[in-house]
Amino acid sequence: MISLQHVSKAYPKGVVALDDVSIEIEKGEFVFLVGPSGSGKSTSLRLLTREEEPTGGEVYVAGKNLERLSSWGGVPKLRRNIGSVFQDFKLLQDKTVFENVAFALEVIGKPKHVTDSRVPEILDYVGLGDKLNNYPDELSGGEQQRVSIARACVNRPLVLLADEPTGNLDPNTSVDIMRLLDKVNKIGTTVVMATHDQAIVDAMRKRVIELDKGKVVRDQSRGVYS
Amino acid sequence: MPRIEYYFRETASGLRRNGIVAFAAMSTAFIALFLFGLALLIGRQLSLVIDAYTRNVEVAIYLTDPVKEDVRVNLEQTLLELPAVAEVEYENKQQAYERFRDLYRNQPTIVENTDPDAIPASLRVKLNDTAQYDQVAAAMGCAPNLETGQVECTQPGVREVRDYSDLLDRLSTINRVLSRGILFIAILMLASAVALVANTLRMGMFARRREIGIMRLVGATNWRIRTPFLIEGLVETLIGGGLAIVFLFLMKVAFVDRLRGQIAFLPLIRNSDVIAIAPWIAIVAVLIALIAGLIGMRRFLDV
Repeated sequence: MISLQHVSKAYPKGVVALDDVSIEIEKGEFVFLVGPSGSGKSTSLRLLTREEEPTGGEVYVAGKNLERLSSWGGVPKLRRNIGSVFQDFKLLQDKTVFENVAFALEVIGKPKHVTDSRVPEILDYVGLGDKLNNYPDELSGGEQQRVSIARACVNRPLVLLADEPTGNLDPNTSVDIMRLLDKVNKIGTTVVMATHDQAIVDAMRKRVIELDKGKVVRDQSRGVYS
Repeated sequence: MPRIEYYFRETASGLRRNGIVAFAAMSTAFIALFLFGLALLIGRQLSLVIDAYTRNVEVAIYLTDPVKEDVRVNLEQTLLELPAVAEVEYENKQQAYERFRDLYRNQPTIVENTDPDAIPASLRVKLNDTAQYDQVAAAMGCAPNLETGQVECTQPGVREVRDYSDLLDRLSTINRVLSRGILFIAILMLASAVALVANTLRMGMFARRREIGIMRLVGATNWRIRTPFLIEGLVETLIGGGLAIVFLFLMKVAFVDRLRGQIAFLPLIRNSDVIAIAPWIAIVAVLIALIAGLIGMRRFLDV
């Protein structure tokens, strides 16, 4: 599903974010990317959505070489197959929960009847079936993250990328969010999560890829944080 | 139709949010398009005048007093042999005075103070090709006298040849200066309209950078993201253009229509002339919006 082959990423000022990284992730896997800040976790995720392009090596997602995608058609199509979740939720404050999730479908041209049927369905799935008309600032952090997961999943992506999704949440809420991500994974979505939340990694017992200074220093199935 | 509804809603909210800036862009577009239309209308008015003169143009050959019949016939024959000449008509002193009186009927003092005998008889020549005035003058043996600076004619019986080349030259100079001047200002205004519309788009995109970020994230195409902004620009310039057409029309009613009937034989632009320039204003309005879109969104939206 995801393949990084000898990928390097250097920034103009000589900062090397990734240095000859090769990773293979199969369809349906749940993978933690761990490592200290600046180890290259976020950069790896940004390469997968082609927000950034590698300075060396090749990135494949769902069999497509990302280098060859056109920015007019290919990249948007790639991103429709990838859901993204962030530490800061990235919700639109002036839209309700329903509208936030519907927005993701609207802007890729899905007709209203699709939105009307899928949005309540996915919000129900993430446990917010009764908060459709609330605004983000009326929700707890954990609930906001659920909305953002609903938005990421509403178009039924092949891959879900989560960058520190529990970074702003307390431990109990984090566990709830991890249960939800696990649930999303169980229905066949490949999940890649960057984190430095040790407790969560240790509890989940999933594959762990550890990065340090832009290199893979460990790749372990059913691993722990360190 | 979710798509149309979506664009409409996005455009409306963009215009609302950007109120003052959108208003500035719109008024600049209005002024620019108004001036552009004004230049077009002035061009039309002057070409109407030029047409009116050239259509009836006669080169007038004033004859010396008294007119001898055989000299006159001789001159007519000479003229009719010229390829540029279509028709020659003799106007005797009586007819000349009547015409003079008619032409100045609004200024009776001029008529009262003019001796009927002072208006000369003339041959009025209609031309096939108005560009060839000089043939007539040449055939009458007219040439400027280098010492006195006056035109003298050697053909017997000819006092003076007067054509309208001076007047026409002057009219087209006026046309050129006015239209170019106005067009120049219009172009400056058009450029500022482009800049201001581009600026509203950019501000709009900045205000909505979070939305745009999410749109990109979930795989909205570039056009999907840009179209609401483009429509926003189009709405601004088209409203400006519509106002420009309305104001040009009002101006025509206020100034041109008041002149109608005041000046004899002066053709004036009509409503149809205003209507005829409307599509040009609309086209330029669309161009402003498109160029502004290209400039305003160039940097902002690379995936």
